Amino acid sequence: MNPHHHSSYLNPNSLKSRFTKNFLRSLIKINKQTPFPCRPTEMFQRCHKVKTAADKSLACAVGSRRVWSRAMLCKIRNRALRRGPQKPPSVRRIIINNRTMKKGFNCLKEKMNDDQEAGIDQTSKLRKLVPGGEAMDLCNLLDEAAHYIKCLNTQVQEIHDAERIESLGKD
Amino acid sequence: MEKEKLFLNEGANSTAAVPIWNPCSFGMEMQSNKLNCCSDQLPNCFFNPNWDSSMDQSDPFASALSSIVSSPVTTSNAIPSSGGVGDPVMIRELIGRLGNICNSGETSYINNNSSTNTSCYSTPLNSPPKLNISIMDSQIMGNLPILGNGIPDHPSLAPFLADPGFAERAARYSCFGSRNLASNESELSHRLMPRLEPGKLQRVSSNPSEKATGPQANVNVDGNSNSDKKFSRLSRSSTPENAEFGDSRDESSVSEQIPGGKLSMKGLNDSNSRKRKAITKGKAKETPSSSLSASDSKVVAEMDESKAKRSKSKEINGDEKDSTKVNEEENSNQKQNKDNSKPPEPLKDYIHVRARRGQATDSHSLAERVRREKISERMKFLQDLVPGCNKVTGKAVMLDEIINYVQSLQRQVEFLSMKLATVNPRMDISMEALLSKDPLSFPYGYRSQQGIALPNGMFSNGETQFSTNPLNAVLKRNQCMQLPALDGFGDAPRQVSTFWEDDLQSVVQMGFGQNQLQQPQAFHADSNMPGAQMKVEL
Repeated sequence: MNPHHHSSYLNPNSLKSRFTKNFLRSLIKINKQTPFPCRPTEMFQRCHKVKTAADKSLACAVGSRRVWSRAMLCKIRNRALRRGPQKPPSVRRIIINNRTMKKGFNCLKEKMNDDQEAGIDQTSKLRKLVPGGEAMDLCNLLDEAAHYIKCLNTQVQEIHDAERIESLGKD
Repeated sequence: MEKEKLFLNEGANSTAAVPIWNPCSFGMEMQSNKLNCCSDQLPNCFFNPNWDSSMDQSDPFASALSSIVSSPVTTSNAIPSSGGVGDPVMIRELIGRLGNICNSGETSYINNNSSTNTSCYSTPLNSPPKLNISIMDSQIMGNLPILGNGIPDHPSLAPFLADPGFAERAARYSCFGSRNLASNESELSHRLMPRLEPGKLQRVSSNPSEKATGPQANVNVDGNSNSDKKFSRLSRSSTPENAEFGDSRDESSVSEQIPGGKLSMKGLNDSNSRKRKAITKGKAKETPSSSLSASDSKVVAEMDESKAKRSKSKEINGDEKDSTKVNEEENSNQKQNKDNSKPPEPLKDYIHVRARRGQATDSHSLAERVRREKISERMKFLQDLVPGCNKVTGKAVMLDEIINYVQSLQRQVEFLSMKLATVNPRMDISMEALLSKDPLSFPYGYRSQQGIALPNGMFSNGETQFSTNPLNAVLKRNQCMQLPALDGFGDAPRQVSTFWEDDLQSVVQMGFGQNQLQQPQAFHADSNMPGAQMKVEL
C-alpha cells in the first residue's frame, strides 16, 4: 500500500466518532427548530437540511486537511449565506489554504495532459463529483478522490445506522 | 584577495619579505583608515619581530601580521618594534585587511600554533603562509554564518599548515569565484573537512563547500563530462544529513561527515535550483554541483537508485516538481551513470529521478514519467478502495468504476438522509444524553444484539403509544433484533446497563418503570420480545 496513505488523519475511529457527534448534534438542532413537517414542501426542505447536515458534519470531521472538505464547507457556507439573510449560528471558520489555491491555478495547464491521459469525460466527471476537484491536477485529484471515497463510506455507514435505529424506534 | 594570493605564492617561494609587497600596492590607502582603527600600537608593532618570545626572525611583515592578528586577543604581547621595513604603506594595507578578517579565535590559534614554518618566513609562530592560511580560514569561516564561535578546533588546523602546498591552495581558495580547483587540492579538501566538521556547519555559502569538495573533481565551468565521471564514483546512500539539507534549502549544508566523503551535493543542488528556479539553467547548476562532486563524497544522488525505490520517497516531497526537475537535469547530464545500481536509500525529502537505460532523458520526459508513476500508484490505491475492481486493468475502465462508485455513495447518502428526515424524530433527550457521553458507544451499541433493545427504548417518545405488535414485526424483521430471551423485567435493565453508561441507565430505568405500569400485559405476553418493554416513554 502506498505509505503516503497511511497517514494518521484517517483514523477510522476518530473520523467516525467526530462525524457521528456532529451529525447527531445537527439532527437534534433540526428537530428542535422545525416541527415535523406535514406537507411535502416542508418535507423536502427537511430532507435537504438533513443531507446538508450530513455533508457538513462529515466535512467538519475531516477538517481543513483535505481539499475536498474545505471545498465542501465553503460551498455549504456560501449556500447558507446566499439563502438566508442571517448567517447560520455556528459557521465554522474555514481557512482557505492559499497554497492549495495557487496550486490549483498552476495545475490548470496540466489538466490538458490529464485529460489526454485518462479520458476527458472521466476526469471531468470525477472533478465534478469530488468537491473541489475542478482545480486540481489528476494526481491530486486521485488522492482526494481516494480520501473522499473513504469518508463517504464512513458517512454512509453512520447514516444507515442512525436511520435504522430511528426507524426501529418509530414503528 | 589577489594581493594575498600573490603574497602567498611568493611567500612560499621566496625568502624576501619586502619584495612581495611591491605588487600589492593597490588600494592601500583606503585600508589605512582601517589600520588606524586598530590599536594605536599597530603602526609600531609592524616591525617588531620580538612580539613573541619564540620569534627569532626579524621578518618585519610576519611579525607585524602576527601582532596585528593577535593584538585583539593577546594584549600582553609586546608590541613589536619595527625593523627594516620596505613598504609601510603596503604592509599597513595588508594588516588592515587582516585585522578585518581575523577573529579572535583565529588569532588565538595563531598565537598558539607554533608548527613548523614552511615558508621563507621562518617565524615559528606564524609564517605568512600560516597567517594567510589562517586568514583564508577566517575568510572562509567568516562567510559561514554559523561559525561565530571561531575556530573551535584549533588543532585540526595543524594538518593544514603542515602541507607545504597549503599556502598556494589556500590562496586559491580565497578566490571564491574560482571554480577551477586543481586535483592536487584534494588533500586540502580533506584537511578543510575536519575544520568544517567541528563547526557543524549548517549553512555554508556555496563557495566554501565548493572548495571543500571541489578539489576532487578537476572541474571547469563547463566540465560536465568531468562531472559525469565524478558522479559515477559517488556512492549512494542518502545520509541523515540530507533530511536536514532538504530542510535548509536556501543554503547547502555541509555534513559533519565530510571527511568520510558525505557531502550532500544534492542539498546544494537543490538549494541552487531553488534559488534559480529555472530548468534551463541546468548547466549553471551543474557547475557548482560538479565542483562539489568529490569522488569520495557520497552524493545523494539523483542519478542513483532505481525508480522503484524512489517512488517511496515521492510522497514526502512537497517540492516535488522543483526537485524533480533538478534531478532530471542532473540525470540528463549524467546519463552515463545509469548503469550504476545503488542500494536503496532511506526516504528523502524529495524525489530522485533516474534516467533509465534506453529511455529519454530530457527533463520533460522525466517529469512526465514521474507524474505517470504517481498517477498509476494512486490508481492502484483506488483500486483497493473501490470494491470489485481487482480485475480491472487500464486507467479508463478504472476511472469509470471510480466514478460510478462515488456516484453511488453520494446517492446513498442522499437517500439515507432523506429517509432519516422522514422518520419522526424521537431522540431529542436521549440524543443529548448520548452526546454528553461517549459518542462512540452510540454507533457501536447498535450492532450488538442486546444493545439494540435500549436504543429502541431511548428513541421512543412520550406521546406515542407503541403497540407491541408492530414492534414485534419490526423486531422480527431485523435479524439483528434476535434478542436473547429475557426472563424477567429485571433482567432487562441489568443487561442494558452493561452496554450503556450509568447515567443512561437511570434514564432507562425510569422509562422501564413507566413501561411497566403501562404495558404489563405486553411484558407477560411477549417474553421473547423484551424489546417491547424497552420501549419506554420518556
